[in-house]
Amino acid sequence: MPDVLIADDSEFMRNLLREILEEDHTIVGEVENGVEAVEVYKEETPDLVMMDIVMPIRDGIEATDEIKSANPDANVIMCTSVGQEEKMKEAVKAGADGYITKPFQKPSVIEAIEDVVPS
Amino acid sequence: MKVYDGTQSTDDDQGTEPERIKVGIAEYKTTTDDAVLTTSGLGSCIGVGIYDDVSGAAGLVHVMLPTAEDIDDGNRAKFADTGVEALVEALEDAGASRASMRAKMAGGSDMLDFSESGSSIGARNAKQVRATLEEFDIPLVGEDVGGDHGRSLKLDAGTGDLVVKSANTESTTL
Amino acid sequence: MNVDIQSLGTFNQLAHEGAQQATQSMAQMTGIDASVDVTKITLVDREDVGEALVGQDFVGVQFDFEGVLEGDTVLAFDTDSADTMVDALIPGGSDDEAMARSGVEEVGNIMMSGFIDGWADYLEAAIEHSPPTYIEKSGREVLPETRHPDDHEQVFVFKSEIEWVGESVNFYIYMLPEYEAFAEVMTEHADTEGDAIPIDKLHTFNEMTTSGTQKAADNVEMMTGIPTEAEVSQISFAPITDVPKQIGTDTYVGTVVEFTGVPSGYLLVLFDEVSAINVAEAMMPIEMDGDELTDQHESAIEELGNIMTSGFVDGWANVLQTSVDHSPPRLVHDMGRSIMDPLAAQVGQHQEHAFIIDSRMKTDDIEFEAEIHALPNEQELRRALEDLDVERADETDADVEQIFE
Repeated sequence: MPDVLIADDSEFMRNLLREILEEDHTIVGEVENGVEAVEVYKEETPDLVMMDIVMPIRDGIEATDEIKSANPDANVIMCTSVGQEEKMKEAVKAGADGYITKPFQKPSVIEAIEDVVPS
Repeated sequence: MKVYDGTQSTDDDQGTEPERIKVGIAEYKTTTDDAVLTTSGLGSCIGVGIYDDVSGAAGLVHVMLPTAEDIDDGNRAKFADTGVEALVEALEDAGASRASMRAKMAGGSDMLDFSESGSSIGARNAKQVRATLEEFDIPLVGEDVGGDHGRSLKLDAGTGDLVVKSANTESTTL
Repeated sequence: MNVDIQSLGTFNQLAHEGAQQATQSMAQMTGIDASVDVTKITLVDREDVGEALVGQDFVGVQFDFEGVLEGDTVLAFDTDSADTMVDALIPGGSDDEAMARSGVEEVGNIMMSGFIDGWADYLEAAIEHSPPTYIEKSGREVLPETRHPDDHEQVFVFKSEIEWVGESVNFYIYMLPEYEAFAEVMTEHADTEGDAIPIDKLHTFNEMTTSGTQKAADNVEMMTGIPTEAEVSQISFAPITDVPKQIGTDTYVGTVVEFTGVPSGYLLVLFDEVSAINVAEAMMPIEMDGDELTDQHESAIEELGNIMTSGFVDGWANVLQTSVDHSPPRLVHDMGRSIMDPLAAQVGQHQEHAFIIDSRMKTDDIEFEAEIHALPNEQELRRALEDLDVERADETDADVEQIFE
């Protein structure tokens, strides 16, 4: 099963994502900000990071940028409530591989992951 | 045709219930009749109650920002420095003497302070109230400031009691 | 057509002083102590005017006025306060229907003159008002009928809320100027060199807000399964010290974020306590015991607030082709006014008046209502309006597929 790291400052959202993912994925960590996301990524090098954008300390786009600079093969899917075109472009620039807008339905999460990390 | 001669046909019997006087944001009110002065919804704003046992005059001001230097729109009661000053002057006009005035304040919460550096508006408001009272040599005999919750106040002009109520807690009396 | 902040402030002040004058006339006649609580100017869809009136019965008087300003005004007293007023005027008068009616008319007539005179003096021109028409209606019906029933139009409304000291009853003065004449007067008094705002762009901005509210309501529906409808969206203008009064003294639960970019400011998503529990439970997979607001409820509310916030501001960013960042949500659970107060103070460090954007949504299925309030920095709202391309007004959605092809 692919390893996944969940980065989201909302406990509610982490729970929701865990419930959707744990059936077919191994969750290697759940973190609450961009700094922790980079740290845990480096320790665990998971197959996939589900990355929120608006997080305290460091946002998800900066964290994605650092992860992708260190490892261009990393897979990062933004999973955010932000639906602004400029933000999406920033995410693409930082190297994001996919973009899911909240609120989401389970099938769209599975589909987005399938696109980025085919099973 | 009706004629209004201004006389009160019914003088409502108010009983023993003291009159309640509401003080809005950036307003002050005074009384010499043992009324209850109230103000609500203080976040970073501060309510300052000043009373004088000797003359029986009391007043309450609801200030929003520390000093009129920030943005002066001519409303003295909006700022901690000029608001306290205006209240003291109004009390003097009502017969109170500065020497026997006592002050209490509540409010100045740090809730929802998004400024990343420096102290919150609530803290700066409290600091300014203290400084201005000190200038006037009026002792601050009770305070409940800071924290991360809102407050509503009742100043009993007869006793000088300042009752502080928050949304999620029991009320306390200063 | 441009209108500057200063003249919006002046017009608001005129309406406020007019309401004070009217209230004072009434106080003199009846001996009832009353004071004007809030006066604000609101730009809103004509059909949404008078939301505060829903669910109450009113008696009042309507007038139309013409001259340099044209339009309609209504004084609306809820039934109890009308009785109190009539009895103060003529003891026992409320029992005599004809007497009560004539009392209300009389008071209304005098109040109305007090309200209008200040405007005429300021504008140095005459404004005539018609004799009063007595009305007894419920809710919004107390307002004058629209003169342009076929147009889906936005109008400026002046609303003053007057509080009866020591009583829990309020009454209202609504003034609905005819748009064209009013815009003309405002434009004439605008100092267009200064801090002018193009009114037509304010309309567009209001429309964007309506679609932002719809998006936020859709998000609620997706997360909770509860069909949710966007209700009113409006933009108001008021002195900064009146901003906290836009929210009630009840306890609310919700989130607050600071947003940065053009415009910047603060955004609140608020639920009354019952709605907060209901909506949080609809988001949670398991049934909760009791009706207390728990940590789990708060966590759900925090995320819902976050998602509603994005739904609301993303449209602005996409239309303006810019990005509007917002801070992580801060959970609040306090008296409504105390929540708004520190935000108004922060904005008030740089400006005397503020624009407040208010939206509301609700559902018929369960007891649920949510309010969204935004308090933008005035300078930046003006910049945002300057940059606003009216042609792009409906481009509120980003195309994810196209960006991540």
